[in-house]
Amino acid sequence: MNLEAFQNRVMPSKNKLYRFALRFLGNEDEAKDVVQEVLIRVWKGREQMNEIQNWEAWCMRITKNLSLDRIRSLSRKTTQPLEEAYEVRQHEPTPYETTELQESMQSIGNLIAALPEKQRQVIHLRDVEGYSYNEICEILELDMNQVKVNLFRARNAVREKLMKINAYGL
Amino acid sequence: MLMDSKRIEELLARYWECETSLEEEQQLHQYFQQKDIPEQWKETAALFKYFQQQKKKSITDVSFDDQVLASVPKAKGKTISFFYNTMRIAAGVAVLMVAIWFIRKEVRSTNPPETVDTYEDPKLAFEETKKALMMISKSFGKAEEQAKKINLFNEAQDEIRKKEKSTKM
Repeated sequence: MNLEAFQNRVMPSKNKLYRFALRFLGNEDEAKDVVQEVLIRVWKGREQMNEIQNWEAWCMRITKNLSLDRIRSLSRKTTQPLEEAYEVRQHEPTPYETTELQESMQSIGNLIAALPEKQRQVIHLRDVEGYSYNEICEILELDMNQVKVNLFRARNAVREKLMKINAYGL
Repeated sequence: MLMDSKRIEELLARYWECETSLEEEQQLHQYFQQKDIPEQWKETAALFKYFQQQKKKSITDVSFDDQVLASVPKAKGKTISFFYNTMRIAAGVAVLMVAIWFIRKEVRSTNPPETVDTYEDPKLAFEETKKALMMISKSFGKAEEQAKKINLFNEAQDEIRKKEKSTKM
């Protein structure tokens, strides 16, 4: 793979990698740092790329591993991304959205941020990025059953909490 | 794309059970992007809108790509190898041209340059040709005379041989 192929094939997936890293880290700058590191690693390991069938899943897996490394090295708590994710959304308000809708977006963001890590990853990969179950297995290095169980729990936890918010006006 | 609420209800039920395919989930995403969603699905619509909104997040820094490309070790980038190859070809061509030039020079010095045809008038050309042919025939005539002298020697030699033969016998 030459530099041109790298720019045309790998670089466009940077936003997917960024969103995934952001889901782990909850901090824009650190997510960007991770994506940069991932892309450099991919370039360095580009000889292997010919043998890899789904290189995007491979990139996502590297993103996951580097994000987890970073979380460990910063000894972050899983709850910390919560407030930061909240801030991230405030930076990019879309003008046509009503404040009511924005509020519900924020509370859903908080609900998902509060999910256990694996559930958070699975629901992000499936419902935001639209990956197939096989790809999610490959990215997260989990078996099909684990992926489905985590997705089921994530979706239903979010649903239940959403119902509660609606019922009690939390 | 408008779908009837029964279809949505059925898809949603399967969605919560994680039994929907990616295409079916795509239909749900599309449906919940609409403005008029029945009250019963208000929260669900908000959830699907949240997923869509999240997908729009991107790296907005213009300099991000350049930063990555700058930190990527440009191991013999394309332009460099292209330049290198071109120079190799150019050097080969240069050597070939110099060699041809030397060979031409050598060939020209050994072979005198051909006479150039300067006669435009056919009559003049004919005269010149005649002159040249005359010169050749003259030379031939001279040569014949000389050759006759050699013949004389030959005849004399023959005669001597004959005499020798007759004395031996």
